Amino acid sequence: MATVRRQLFQDPWEFRESILFTAAAVLAGFLIQIASAGKGIPQPHLPFNALFLALLAVTVISAGLAFKNNPVVKWLGGIPLGLSLILAIALLSLIGGVVPQDTGATGSIAVRFGLSSIFSSWPFALTVIFFLVNLGIGLSWKLVPFKMQNLQFILFHAGFWIALSCGIFGSTDLQRLIIPVDEGKSGNIGFTMQGEEPHQLPFSVFLHEFSLEEYAPNLLLYDPATEAQTNFDVHKGLTTSWKGSDVLVVDYLPSAMPTEDGTLKPVASKGLPFVKVRISSDGRHEEGWVGVTLPSQKPVPVKIGNLLVLLWPGNPKAFRSAVTIQGDNGQTLMANLEVNKPVGFMGWKLYQMGYDEKAGRFSKLSLIEAINDPWLPAVYLGFFMIMAANVLFFWNGIKRSNKA
Amino acid sequence: MMAIDFTTAATAAMICWAVGALLGIASVKIPALKMPGIILAITGTAVLGVYIAWYWNFLGRPPLRTLGETRLWYATLIPLVGFIVEFRWKISWLKYYCMGLATFFLVINLMHPEVFDKTLMPALQSPWFVPHVVVYLVGYVFLAASSTAAAHNVYLGLRSKTTETGSMVSHYLAILGFVFLTFGLIFGALWAKEAWGHYWTWDPKETWAFLSWLAYLAYLHANSYKIDRNKLQWYLALSFIVLLVCWFGVNYLPSSQNSVHTYTQS
Ligand code: HEM
Repeated sequence: MATVRRQLFQDPWEFRESILFTAAAVLAGFLIQIASAGKGIPQPHLPFNALFLALLAVTVISAGLAFKNNPVVKWLGGIPLGLSLILAIALLSLIGGVVPQDTGATGSIAVRFGLSSIFSSWPFALTVIFFLVNLGIGLSWKLVPFKMQNLQFILFHAGFWIALSCGIFGSTDLQRLIIPVDEGKSGNIGFTMQGEEPHQLPFSVFLHEFSLEEYAPNLLLYDPATEAQTNFDVHKGLTTSWKGSDVLVVDYLPSAMPTEDGTLKPVASKGLPFVKVRISSDGRHEEGWVGVTLPSQKPVPVKIGNLLVLLWPGNPKAFRSAVTIQGDNGQTLMANLEVNKPVGFMGWKLYQMGYDEKAGRFSKLSLIEAINDPWLPAVYLGFFMIMAANVLFFWNGIKRSNKA
Repeated sequence: MMAIDFTTAATAAMICWAVGALLGIASVKIPALKMPGIILAITGTAVLGVYIAWYWNFLGRPPLRTLGETRLWYATLIPLVGFIVEFRWKISWLKYYCMGLATFFLVINLMHPEVFDKTLMPALQSPWFVPHVVVYLVGYVFLAASSTAAAHNVYLGLRSKTTETGSMVSHYLAILGFVFLTFGLIFGALWAKEAWGHYWTWDPKETWAFLSWLAYLAYLHANSYKIDRNKLQWYLALSFIVLLVCWFGVNYLPSSQNSVHTYTQS
């Protein structure tokens, strides 16, 4: 059977038109990007971004329903255009996944074309907007009239629409501020990552104490004769043999301080780890204490037997700040801030972020990050819709395969 | 990785798979060999399962942190998909590819024994850690199996021997993989909010995970637009390359210097 090849832009539009349209959108994006001298996209804040989004949603849904049978609208809401736009988003993300982001020197090609900030560039923004139009129109057809069998489709597509649009348009309202506080003091000034001008926060954070736990230290053995070395994590009673020497960890003090007379005294906090090591070779035993030095000092090897022995601090295991947060409205909250355990206060979330790494466990400084993201509930709504759709998809996928 | 124990477990598993596969192939002529073949192949996987349990206990943390550790999981789980497909759809060829792929991962691990490191940085000490990584692992395992099935379909296609069940298997495995990938992506976002303060930062690993998700999203839509199933087999087979970059390649890209996700290279 001879098929007549459809002319370009002859109805119904399909993949070639979609690819052309998408390529034109991306190209236009790059041209605007260059013309605007790499300044990037306008970044409207609340309430303007919300208004814009609401307008976009209403326009797209009503246009999709009103001109359901118009061939151009049919194409605008169809899979061929969707696939081309997915491809465009993938290619732009690929640039973002290969070119280091937010590091380019000003004036470099990567900056002028927006390549080093691709996710806030014009080509990306235009592609996302067309993606939302395409997805929204497709959605409108399945939304009205509502049918139960379309639920999975609606949850997937509406969930993604909401998460994507609110995530991207809401990102302008995201505030991430780092508050440095010293022990025994309070701070209410936050700095952005770029360390620009300070921001006054509506609350202050008082730091009672910063504390750091480390994993067991690492014992390093070095043989000056052969320049060989080995290392292992310490625990009391550990025995091992290496190069004809038997090594025994006689004692391990996770936290201790040397006293005036040179003996070691265990302390509850803010001490350093020490180990007593016995090395035996050829029937001779020798013992000695080795300790971790402060992170700012050079470790000193101790000679025991024929070997040089050194103790490295373990990696940080946990660090936390005991704080009292006081709001300008008088509200107060006592809390322990720890990695993975943020605390909410007056619509903000407070995170344990960092400390003075040179001082290690003796740090008196804690870096606390305060984050305010008014759009988070909307994005999460999208996420949960997608997950619900996912459950249905899993279920239906399995069920259909039973019939097949 | 504890070199001696791993070498023993990996070798035992590979021998079980190899003999199991030979018995399976021979059972075409001698049906009595079928059951012993299956049992041996499953034993190989069980050996690795026991090894993982022992190793987890030995480390005192989930063995999901280094590249070598994730390869160990793939080697354990991929053949399992092959066995399930045989059980569920009576398709036996997939398991041979799966055991081959798993052997490949084990051999890489044998060639690069890792220094084991018991520590887990604070951000990883989260109840999200295990579900996020496990969901991703399972997703990748399904997609690896899907690509394998698709590659087999491509091969059959070139010899004009395509089957309906063939493309059905790669399709359902892709759906299962996509479902898990979607969960993995969202779990990761929810965790990132707790650990790092924001759910999405276009970190290179996130970007590449998003890209592989898009690749399968495109597949699903191309499929529901009734694009020729046989052409899509090529697509599914090649999508695996994106996944491989996402797994391993990311570590070597210039963009990943500051990534929180790059596995330790130790
Ligand atoms: C680019 C815009 C998009 C358009 C125009 C579009 C359109 C469609 C259409 C027409 C279908 C077929 C529905 C049916 O046969 O009942 C479909 C299926 C589907 N869509 Fe989308 N979609 C888009 C984006 C997305 C996104 C972003 C997601 C993920 C969150 C998604 C997930 C799905 C899933 C999982 C299916 C089911 C596939 C299957 O049953 O094989 N879609 N989509």
